[in-house]
Amino acid sequence: MINIQDMRDTARGLLTKKEVRAVIGYRRSTNGMLAEPVVITDPAQADELIWDPTCFHNLSLYLVEDRKFLTHVRKTADAPIAIVAKGCDARSIVVLMQEHYFERKDVYIIGMSCEGSGVLDERKLAAKGIRATDAAFDGDDFVFATAQGEQRIAAREVMADRCLECREPFPKEHNAVLGENKTGRELNAPFTALHRFEELDAGARWKFWEHQFERCIRCFACRSVCPMCYCEECVVDSISFPVTGQTSAEEKANRVRWIERSATRPENMTYHMTRVLHLAGRCIDCNECERVCPVNIPLRLLNNKMEREAREEFGYEPGASIGGPSLTASFLDTDPGKFIR
Amino acid sequence: MSHSQAEVTQAEASGEFEPRIVAFLCKWCSSAGSDLAGVSRMQYPSNATPITVPCSGSVSPMYILSAFKKGADGVLVSGCHIGDCHYIEGNFLARRKIHLVKELLGFVGIEPDRFRMSWVSAAEGAKYSNVIKDFVEDLKPLGPQNKMKADRS
Ligand code: SF4
Ligand code: SF4
Repeated sequence: MINIQDMRDTARGLLTKKEVRAVIGYRRSTNGMLAEPVVITDPAQADELIWDPTCFHNLSLYLVEDRKFLTHVRKTADAPIAIVAKGCDARSIVVLMQEHYFERKDVYIIGMSCEGSGVLDERKLAAKGIRATDAAFDGDDFVFATAQGEQRIAAREVMADRCLECREPFPKEHNAVLGENKTGRELNAPFTALHRFEELDAGARWKFWEHQFERCIRCFACRSVCPMCYCEECVVDSISFPVTGQTSAEEKANRVRWIERSATRPENMTYHMTRVLHLAGRCIDCNECERVCPVNIPLRLLNNKMEREAREEFGYEPGASIGGPSLTASFLDTDPGKFIR
Repeated sequence: MSHSQAEVTQAEASGEFEPRIVAFLCKWCSSAGSDLAGVSRMQYPSNATPITVPCSGSVSPMYILSAFKKGADGVLVSGCHIGDCHYIEGNFLARRKIHLVKELLGFVGIEPDRFRMSWVSAAEGAKYSNVIKDFVEDLKPLGPQNKMKADRS
């Protein structure tokens, strides 16, 4: 069991000794049970930090935001920034470093082992009709505080799918780490949800996706929350092409617009396929995109499809090594080519 | 207008379905291969609109998705044989990327026959004409592609 006090002490120590300029972690939100992200700079704030099953956010997004901010104000960091990271979060930080978004010395990873458990899927809890004000890890269970008193539920019943299928619930890349490494405790085989979906035939799959792509409202929350979607200009925004006083009407008219802004099925479909292809080999399945989607588009299926192809066909594991090649910028002589005529 | 092109126009007028293919051909091999098919006076359907690209490795997935969105019934990417790439490794990179695109299209339920990749060298005019012939044959029973096509009416 992880003692929350250890995490607070680690954070406090780092801030007091000025080894880091801030700690990105979780605190209790003002809205009931859920954790919320917090950035602390004062050692006295360390006691605000928490660690419980509602710490499902991937905080590495804030490392990206920090880097963007520093670039914007033209400053360089005088010390690294510390971050509380689960196994999946640590892998996303590895991908960012692999892509040289920042360097290893710029970040201090306070790794948190999921210790054979995982984080909560709010939707699963809501489906059980449980309204809690607090949640805690306890071995294989989650313990919730509700108006009717304490309620104990087997963690796997309300755990996020990605945690059930997680192959490495331990932050291999870390500066400090809390909790035991229980890698190899897979509760569900990897890609269980994907396999189940793929049992449908092509017609049924199309019916499913046709419906989903009709529903997407293209709010781009999935893109905003993804730590890997860090580009300043996104290929799907036709508005982000620089227009200056010198841009002629013809140039504006001839601008390449890969995707129109209207949220119609063909445009949405092109958006989603572009999104997932640009994330192939980079997405580490933190599932933040699916979690924030206001209309519950099952984005994890698309992400997982690419992840499994990369793994099975190319032996590629995202977030495995900082120095390794990236999926689509490398190749093997043995890559499959049977589909080519 | 070539003979087969006249046929296409005729067929279209008669209401028979003629698939439209967008073919991304690499400049060094496949494009030259299609030229050879032309200068050798080989007969093959003119359903494909060729777009010359520097290398099969330069074909972004966006090109492919965009072609489908603009109403292509089929998309072909063709490049040099493995080992023959003008840029040494472009087609190796293409092979990986295109594999992902192909899998993804199938995953969401687009007919696998709508997307194809081939290696055609500058000397393989006959192969190019066969690739196109086969593609057209396979596309005809599928009918128009409406899944990704944007409605611009
Ligand atoms: S999938 Fe969901 S989050 Fe992403 S753009 Fe569509 S509606 Fe928004
Ligand atoms: S695509 Fe979704 S699951 Fe993958 S890294 Fe981005 S937010 Fe996380």
